[in-house]
Amino acid sequence: MLFNLLPHLVNGLTLGLLFALIALGFMLILGLMEQINLAHGSLFALGAYFAFVIATPRLPWPELNQAWATVPLGWRYTAALLLAPVLVAPVGLVIERLMRRTYGRDPLYGLLLTFGIALVLEDAIRTVWGTRDYSLPVPRDISGGFFLLDLIWSRYRFWAAAFAIAAMAVVWVVVERTRFGAMVKAGAHDSEMVQAMGVDIRKLRAGVFALGTMLAALAGVIMAPVWGIRPHMGVDAVVPAFVIIVLGGVGSFWGAVLAGLMVGMVVGLSGAYASEWSLLSMYLLLILVVTFRARGLFGKKSLLEA
Amino acid sequence: MPDTARAHLVRTFTPTMLLTWAVLATLPFWVERVGLYQYLAVEVLIWATYALAFNLVLGHAGLPSFGHGAFFGIGAYAFGLAQFNIAANLWVCLAAALLAAGMAGALVGLFISHRRGIYFALMTIAFGQVFWFIAVKAHAITGGEDGLLRIVRLPVELGVAAIPLEDNLSLYYGVLAVFVLVSLGLWRLVHSPFGRVVKAIKQNEQRARFIGYDVWKAKFAVIVLSAALSGLAGGLFAMAQRSAFPDVMSLHFSGYIVMMTLVGGGLVSFWGPVAGVVAFLLARDLIGAVTTGWMLWFGMLFVVLVMFRPDGLAGIAAGLRAAIAPPPRAGGG
Repeated sequence: MLFNLLPHLVNGLTLGLLFALIALGFMLILGLMEQINLAHGSLFALGAYFAFVIATPRLPWPELNQAWATVPLGWRYTAALLLAPVLVAPVGLVIERLMRRTYGRDPLYGLLLTFGIALVLEDAIRTVWGTRDYSLPVPRDISGGFFLLDLIWSRYRFWAAAFAIAAMAVVWVVVERTRFGAMVKAGAHDSEMVQAMGVDIRKLRAGVFALGTMLAALAGVIMAPVWGIRPHMGVDAVVPAFVIIVLGGVGSFWGAVLAGLMVGMVVGLSGAYASEWSLLSMYLLLILVVTFRARGLFGKKSLLEA
Repeated sequence: MPDTARAHLVRTFTPTMLLTWAVLATLPFWVERVGLYQYLAVEVLIWATYALAFNLVLGHAGLPSFGHGAFFGIGAYAFGLAQFNIAANLWVCLAAALLAAGMAGALVGLFISHRRGIYFALMTIAFGQVFWFIAVKAHAITGGEDGLLRIVRLPVELGVAAIPLEDNLSLYYGVLAVFVLVSLGLWRLVHSPFGRVVKAIKQNEQRARFIGYDVWKAKFAVIVLSAALSGLAGGLFAMAQRSAFPDVMSLHFSGYIVMMTLVGGGLVSFWGPVAGVVAFLLARDLIGAVTTGWMLWFGMLFVVLVMFRPDGLAGIAAGLRAAIAPPPRAGGG
């Protein structure tokens, strides 16, 4: 019985780790800017598309493309994994620049602004790449399946989980063990005081936005082989991300990780019994938890309570 | 007291209201002259009804709902299902749309009436997604992605006579009757004592509570009423489209109604959302005629508007009026 559920549990775990990764970038931005970035999902999608352009390769320069295509897929994939987030970061910086006008105003404006940006980016993706699905090729070393305990396991899912854990570890170190992280946390707590201490809050905000954007794009690259690349993937990613934030509680790193795992598990397990309905379970989990714990699992008092 | 009676009449029917109604009442006669088409006029009216109902939550109560598409869609499905399973009668079907959406609104309201701000927005997204997801997956009831087809444009039964609404022109005037009733009702509501309480909650919820108003109850009532009227608009939409689809319940469409309302100036004006609907649907058709990615351009316009003029078209119009009007003369001259 439990044994049959094992593959679903593992799938749920992978999914949860990736959701948590997306949610962490979302939360860093929410914490410091006090703004919801609904375009976060579009940055996730852009990461996947950029990786596709680099890895397949479909670069806009024919000569370079031909030379690059002879390079082994492993190298191209690695380049995509590292470069795509860096290339998406400027898009995030542009969004941050546009959002500056909404700082200090009703958070509704930031929400509306980023909703508009999300629609623009999604249609830009449709205009450039069309509505068809693409798939990101994965090097043979980390694709395919293997047998364990009489079950076939997808090798890539384990790699995806490992990538997500590594990325989250980096985030943890950056936020908890560096000067930059200390400033970010202090800025989220009291941005005026941080400014008074001589920190350039504009640079700090841009830095956090770039970091959050790169996390979203990285998650997009990692998720691309599992979900496929299509214009709608941004919405599919941003909705679970905010579910996780509300569930885990704003401003809590471990809350986001735990909520991400819970959401992944619930989706994975319900997928075992009713695969059609599995995504519904995460909303029911959210509604259930928030009904009894208004601030989520580990939430502190935050702007969400306004 | 004829004077108070007249004052009452003036307060009930304002010039803007009569002008809006008059423009809409004559619309079918000139909509084709300006190169547009009759069905667009029907769409404008339905979405305008929906936007006014939505603005009760967003503009008047200050509650940002990003899941209102659910109520519109539930109304559309209820209209169709009532037609197939209960009775093919316009009144029954519209009542079903109103009731079903109102009940869904009450369910959501139970969970979120004590919330506001971003938290409210996020929870409405979650509930909106739940309803959308059910509509897509409950294939046996809603037809899933294929939609609920073969919905009939039912005639208006008046006991002695029945007025058919089959063609777009007669449907337009049927919908206009609903629009006039809904807009008049909402106008009265917003300017009633209850409307004042709602306004007070928007300005400062805590203060309203301390003064002694039951804030929870007022917000719950606003959510239910807005949901029910959105469902009524959804029922009309099902009739206009002769079908019901889950896409109007998606996050995108829930966002579109927010865009329409905001573009028109729903935050500062009662009639603004109507202008916003017209702008949105015109942009869809005009930009859409040139390029397939019309939202790319409209989205940019929207972003610029949120940055510089969040009070929308109504705000721009008020600014223009202030600029044209002679400045008030200073000090006793």
